[in-house]
Amino acid sequence: MPLEGPARIVSELTSRGYNAEREAVTKIASADDSRAVLERVIESLPEGALVVTTDHVDAALDGSQLTGPSSDRSGDSTDAAAQSAASPSTTDPSVSTGESSPNSTHEVGPSPVETEGSSSVADRSVDPDLRSLEISNDMTGASTGTGEYSDFVSVFRDRLDRLGSKLRSRVNHRPATAIESMPGGEEVAMVGLVNDVRSTASGHWLVELEDATGTFPWLVMKDREYVDLVDELLCDEVLAMEGTLADDSGIAFVDSMHFPDVPRTHEPSTADRPVQAALISDVHVGSQEFMADAWNRFADWLHTEAGERVEYLLLAGDMVEGVGVYPDQDEELDIVDIYEQYEAFNEHLKRVPGDLEIVMIPGNHDAVRLAEPQPGFDEELREIMSAHDPRIVSNPSMVTIEGVSVLMYHGVSLDEVIAELPEEKASYDEPHRAMYQLLKKRHVAPQFGGHTRLAPEEQDYLAIDEVPDIFHTGHVHKLGFGKYHNVLAINSGCWQAQTDFQKSVNIDPDAGYAPIVDLDTLDVTVQKFS
Amino acid sequence: MREADRQYFQRLESQLDEAFDVAERAKEGSLDPEPEVEIPVAKDMADRVENILGIEGVAERVRELEGQMSREEAALELAKDFAEGEVGDYETKAGKVEGAVRTAVALLTEGVVAAPIEGIDKVELLENDDGTEFVNVYYAGPIRSAGGTAQALSVLVADYTRALVGIEQYEPRQEEIERYAEEIGLYDKETGLQYTPKSKETKFIAKHMPIMLDGEATGDEEVSGFRDLERVDTNSARGGMCLVMAEGIALKAPKIQRYTRNLDEVDWPWLQDLIDGNYGGDDAAEADEDDGDDGDEEAESADDADEEAAAGDDPDADESAGPPRVDESTKFLRDLIAGRPVFSHPCAEGGFRLRYGRARNHGFATAGVHPAAMHLVDDFLATGTQIKTERPGKAAGVVPVDSIEGPTVKLANGDVRRIDDPEDALEIRNGVEKILDLGEYLVNYGEFVENNHPLAPASYTYEWWVQDLEAAGADVQALEDDPHVDLEFPTADRALEWATEYDAPLHPEYTYLWHDLSVDSFCSLAETVADGRVTDDGETLVIDHTDVVRDALETIVIEHRQREDRLEIDDWNPFVRTLGFEIRHTATDGASVQGSDPGGRVVELERTWTDDDLSERARNWGHEEVGENAIEAVNEVAPFAVRERAPTRIGNRMGRPEKSERRDLSPPVHTLFPIGEAGGAQRDVAKAAKHAETMSDTPGVVEIQVGRKRCENCDSETFKNRCPDCDERTTPDYRCPDCDQRVDPDEAGRVECDRCEVEATCVETREIDVHEEYRDALESVGERENAFEILKGVKGLSSTTKTPEPIEKGILRAKHDVSSFKDGTVRYDMTDLPVTSVRASELDVDVGQLQALGYEEDVHGEPLTHEDQLVELKVQDIVLSDGAAEHMLQTADFIDDLLEQYYGLDPFYELDDRQDLVGELVFGMAPHTSAATVGRVIGFTSAAVGYAHPYFHAAKRRNCDGDEDCVMLLMDGLLNFSISFLPDKRGGRMDAPLVMSSRIDPAEIDDEAHNMDIVSQYPREFYLATREQADPEDVDVQIAEDTLGTDGEYTGFEHTHDTTDIAMGPDLSAYKTLGSMMDKMDAQLELSRKLAAVDETDVAERVIEYHFLPDLIGNLRAFSRQETRCLDCGEKFRRMPLTGDCRECGGRVNLTVHKGSVNKYMQTAIQVAEEYDCRDYTKQRLEVLERSLESIFENDKNKQSGIEDFM
Repeated sequence: MPLEGPARIVSELTSRGYNAEREAVTKIASADDSRAVLERVIESLPEGALVVTTDHVDAALDGSQLTGPSSDRSGDSTDAAAQSAASPSTTDPSVSTGESSPNSTHEVGPSPVETEGSSSVADRSVDPDLRSLEISNDMTGASTGTGEYSDFVSVFRDRLDRLGSKLRSRVNHRPATAIESMPGGEEVAMVGLVNDVRSTASGHWLVELEDATGTFPWLVMKDREYVDLVDELLCDEVLAMEGTLADDSGIAFVDSMHFPDVPRTHEPSTADRPVQAALISDVHVGSQEFMADAWNRFADWLHTEAGERVEYLLLAGDMVEGVGVYPDQDEELDIVDIYEQYEAFNEHLKRVPGDLEIVMIPGNHDAVRLAEPQPGFDEELREIMSAHDPRIVSNPSMVTIEGVSVLMYHGVSLDEVIAELPEEKASYDEPHRAMYQLLKKRHVAPQFGGHTRLAPEEQDYLAIDEVPDIFHTGHVHKLGFGKYHNVLAINSGCWQAQTDFQKSVNIDPDAGYAPIVDLDTLDVTVQKFS
Repeated sequence: MREADRQYFQRLESQLDEAFDVAERAKEGSLDPEPEVEIPVAKDMADRVENILGIEGVAERVRELEGQMSREEAALELAKDFAEGEVGDYETKAGKVEGAVRTAVALLTEGVVAAPIEGIDKVELLENDDGTEFVNVYYAGPIRSAGGTAQALSVLVADYTRALVGIEQYEPRQEEIERYAEEIGLYDKETGLQYTPKSKETKFIAKHMPIMLDGEATGDEEVSGFRDLERVDTNSARGGMCLVMAEGIALKAPKIQRYTRNLDEVDWPWLQDLIDGNYGGDDAAEADEDDGDDGDEEAESADDADEEAAAGDDPDADESAGPPRVDESTKFLRDLIAGRPVFSHPCAEGGFRLRYGRARNHGFATAGVHPAAMHLVDDFLATGTQIKTERPGKAAGVVPVDSIEGPTVKLANGDVRRIDDPEDALEIRNGVEKILDLGEYLVNYGEFVENNHPLAPASYTYEWWVQDLEAAGADVQALEDDPHVDLEFPTADRALEWATEYDAPLHPEYTYLWHDLSVDSFCSLAETVADGRVTDDGETLVIDHTDVVRDALETIVIEHRQREDRLEIDDWNPFVRTLGFEIRHTATDGASVQGSDPGGRVVELERTWTDDDLSERARNWGHEEVGENAIEAVNEVAPFAVRERAPTRIGNRMGRPEKSERRDLSPPVHTLFPIGEAGGAQRDVAKAAKHAETMSDTPGVVEIQVGRKRCENCDSETFKNRCPDCDERTTPDYRCPDCDQRVDPDEAGRVECDRCEVEATCVETREIDVHEEYRDALESVGERENAFEILKGVKGLSSTTKTPEPIEKGILRAKHDVSSFKDGTVRYDMTDLPVTSVRASELDVDVGQLQALGYEEDVHGEPLTHEDQLVELKVQDIVLSDGAAEHMLQTADFIDDLLEQYYGLDPFYELDDRQDLVGELVFGMAPHTSAATVGRVIGFTSAAVGYAHPYFHAAKRRNCDGDEDCVMLLMDGLLNFSISFLPDKRGGRMDAPLVMSSRIDPAEIDDEAHNMDIVSQYPREFYLATREQADPEDVDVQIAEDTLGTDGEYTGFEHTHDTTDIAMGPDLSAYKTLGSMMDKMDAQLELSRKLAAVDETDVAERVIEYHFLPDLIGNLRAFSRQETRCLDCGEKFRRMPLTGDCRECGGRVNLTVHKGSVNKYMQTAIQVAEEYDCRDYTKQRLEVLERSLESIFENDKNKQSGIEDFM
């Protein structure tokens, strides 16, 4: 009796629209007549079941549930449209410059609708023992701020302490008040938060640094090499400055500027085996523009051989379109009820292989507070989003999978970085370059008082204390990735077609792409499903 | 002009001259900035226009054209002159367009506002992609003051001139179109627009606009998409352009259409689509345009009409198959505000019923409401309260009219009563369970003309019926003269007699709202009535009480009583006859008697028809649903014709409350004398006089920026207007900031240093001894410090020359508790309302006072002898509110003291009580204008409004839809106004009396007033035309425009409806008397439950959507990105200082947005959503927000425990 391979079984099940537990597949495969058992299992599946469980197999083997008529699901056998006919070209973004043009070389266009059927369906059986997933920096359930003035002060002090510690060893710093009383002409250095940046009448720049003792003004001369860096400065980022005190000690002339930055020597960790992670975001279920077809193709592709090595799915926020995000939103919603939106999202999530490890953080469309850090979803929503038992953590969070640390952040601050910085340093077309700025500043949302909202907590969860191996954001609906000091920055696209609003502000989203990262090499492949 | 009018104006002018003489004498040797009165008297509009533009020949041409055509037409005619080079000396095509556009705006604003010069930056030619040239008009912020109509017309004039001088149309690029849409959204968010077109609408306009609208950047916020466009200079919002597009073109499309129709050279066919809101069918329409095939277009519009008809329920029905009805419009419900109730949803049954007519205190964007209704809506409506309305305009000021039908209410005891007396309304108000009908709502014909709104089907009212009766052959004159006949309120028998005898429709008094009743209910009602009995000696009809029948009676709004087991109707005769019953009196044997009359006869009701007798047409009659309207059924079964009683209902909600308040700057200012920070937050001059920064400083010496002045005589420097040494007048001493060279102003008033080519200035920082100034001033006017509580100055001066006002004036203002506006005048604000005829009795004056003002005859030409006689108001006479009168008295006392104690002259006013104010002259002055209009006080009203002739308001460029403006006492303006006090910034010269108009020329006022009808009766044809929803221009009713330029232009303002008093109903809206926002909102929602015409769930939704949610979301956003402030020194910090304490003073720093201000409405909003059964969507938005608040303000590890934890 030829043993039907698990791959063949999985393929058969998927072709009829079912997922299967690994144990269930094993059980069917090990049966005497696996082909017959498979048929029986399918026949006996209860209406509406999507995942074949061991219970179903046991029942079918017992023959006690051989009742219902044959399911009509065989008809909607789906094609893995994006199955990589051309085998996924891996990328190696230029490390030195971080230049990469994901849209030209790394995409795999939709393959012919016809697929090889069985051969393309993967044997997803994987050894769970090989996997590892750890979370840090999650503040869900640990929001201790009560919105008092002192909470705000603490969070900014924590920022200075933590990020300042990365600079204090590099310069011979003094507190602001001490500098004021030093004699003119001295060499001085200071570590502080940028309090203000303004130009002087003569075209120089005045940067006011603030530390726990007070503020001190630093003058960047317009003809000095550092003047270009002034363009990059955002308020409230942590910075070190070195320079010479003016004669009256009222101001210092900047000689050099230091960012907390990622060390150039940073060596990323990699996984010990060829395993992949899909980094996506901005699904926007419930929106009229949600691209269900693209999503389905993606989910189906994960069941194929091409997608079999993807064992981790990271979702960087905006699972649903939400309610009340902008005025008269209800008129543009496909699903008006917020809970039904999450239920629908959960149904879509069910479609991906059940063995995937899933991590989600919320975004600005999700039903959690908008102010950052955003705690993970509450109990009610977690119960709704139960498919495949995802890990739901706060925005931002650090996720370490098989040794590779991934900083997940939804990306609201990218708007601000792009708006404030010159176009060549950050733009919507190259969102990863905006992410480099955040890495350089070692903070996901430095500027207070502008676009990004802050909820004060006892510590600054938004600071990038540890250097991640991968930095993953979304929000701007544009795809882009590249490496900054060996850190892979990925801004995933979205699953929502261009909205009227985006059209009105001239944004053409990258919808229906899934960047796939090889965790053993940190190479990126972009799969296109739209 | 009639002799009487001439005398009136002469009288005003000689009174004005007298005051002028006094003022000139006072100013002559004064310490004021100028030694003469600074408000010149303007001769006529043409002069003003030419002067403001500086284009020679305009005035002459304007005068020429004025008599022949409207001002809009004149503007277009002038455009032609500009194009042909007959007016203006322009070489270039762009110059010609520019001249024409500026002139148009100046003309349409009567040359009183700065819009024509400041609002239009320039006109230039740019290139289309195909290389042809097009016109680009640059607008600036002050175009706002021109108003929507002038803005829109300026575009049309630009296009017209463009066509005449032969420039191509503008072909917008796609990104430019999108940019317009984004930019208008941005501007609305940043600054706010009166009307914000949807982005679809904007794009539609942008796509079709034949010239390019451009402008100066007015905000800091930049667009995020469509940046750095080649033909758009800025990435910021261009405020002037946004205004012109949104409030001009989008809002005033119907008005422009009137003029495009008459012009061959320009063709804006897309306006119709814009008006219809038909932006979607864009492509098809465009295809047609391209074809240039008119036939096609007509076919298309015919198709559209068909489609509209087909949208109804009966596809086979053509236009005539349903009753004429207007379409619902929900626009007025947008942006509903908590605490300002909805009175009626769009076209809702039970809402205000449209009645045509003009009351004497009515017209010009007002709505007549019965005073009883004002009380019954819990006093939310008062005289002058603004309402946002469904039609014909957008907003209207409410006026009390008691000659229309009042509201009908159901009381807790089951009585359904119509309330026609405000006293009754107050009496029964607490027992009102439901307001079944709000009564009539008076709108005059002119409103429809002004808004270019098709006539809406008229209610069947007395005015119409009496003409029907006459048309039917009755001798109405004889009936009117018959003392035993009350034509307007006849007995039931009379009404039936006329209906049958003359074959005229049934009298409206007995015509019920059958059209609101469904045919099914009508049949049920008839069935029940058939089983009814007549009791009480034939007085009362008693029928069974069932839900259907009760609802039917409430729907048709007939007075009755609801009892447990029965419904009782008095005066039932016309009701049952209309229901198709014969009334028979039969002899009785006295045994089985129910309802016998004294004659021993039984009244029997015999139903003359069965349900099957109704024709198909009658059974299916309806507007939206088949069989929803029983009027056809009624007409088939009733023995006489029955008209639709109230086919048009008008939805509305409260806008602004009425206003009657003194105008104080905040904080109030007594004198425009600068004292810096020395006077504290109160700007207390006495405190500043003692202030010393440190122990070593001299108390009272303050460093302050003032204008430097020089005495030509002895060359000494000072900041005063007279030399302290030799008492000569001083002149501003301009110096170049770079080389310190003295510069004298050139002819144009510009001061530029020749050598350095920079502007010279006279402003310097100078030490001023406030103490000395203050003491000297007290001494000079002979007042002691205890004459007033506090004397408030200003922190600094904002005028170009920074000329301070003498403190003496402030001392006397403080003494009389009046405060100064930025220009030195004392002002009082009131909501504008029109009135054309008045009674002495309602103005708190006597006949003698009116006679003394030149009123000799009443409106009928009878000699004026009695306080109750109506007299026609003269155009410049105004009625002050009680508060205004009080304030004017204080001002008069101040002026008298000023003349005596400061200028050393005799007092001018010497008023003892407010009666003495009658006959005194005042200035009327509206915001955004720069010209004052002279008015004369004629009396007083308890309503919190300023009643005046519509022409007076129009002269100030106001209508009465809730607008407010101010009055100033004449002598105050003459003595205290100075241009040198006006702020040196864009718009600084607005709202200041730069000129005054001493007499109103009806041809030179805002022409909106010309559309007011001035007849005492609308013809029968008018009412019939309303059923056809005719264009108001096609109906012949005399409007004010018709008398322009004739002898009758100042008189003959007749009205169709009288009102007992121009101040009835509540004196103040409940909105102003209720305390907190919560109280107001509770009252609003409570009222929405009571009103049959209001859907309380919708109100709750809108209050949450437009008020609570934006507040919550906005505050939450503000919280998480807030500034902080030092509690001790007030220093602000963008972010919390890391030191925790204030970096300036070491004081305590705290948040500016606290938890309390963020979540103050949270629980209320949730409660309202729950209680009023709002949509899940709304409830979920609140849920999500509530959780956000919890997440931010609660410690997860130390959740706040509820009170139950401690129980």
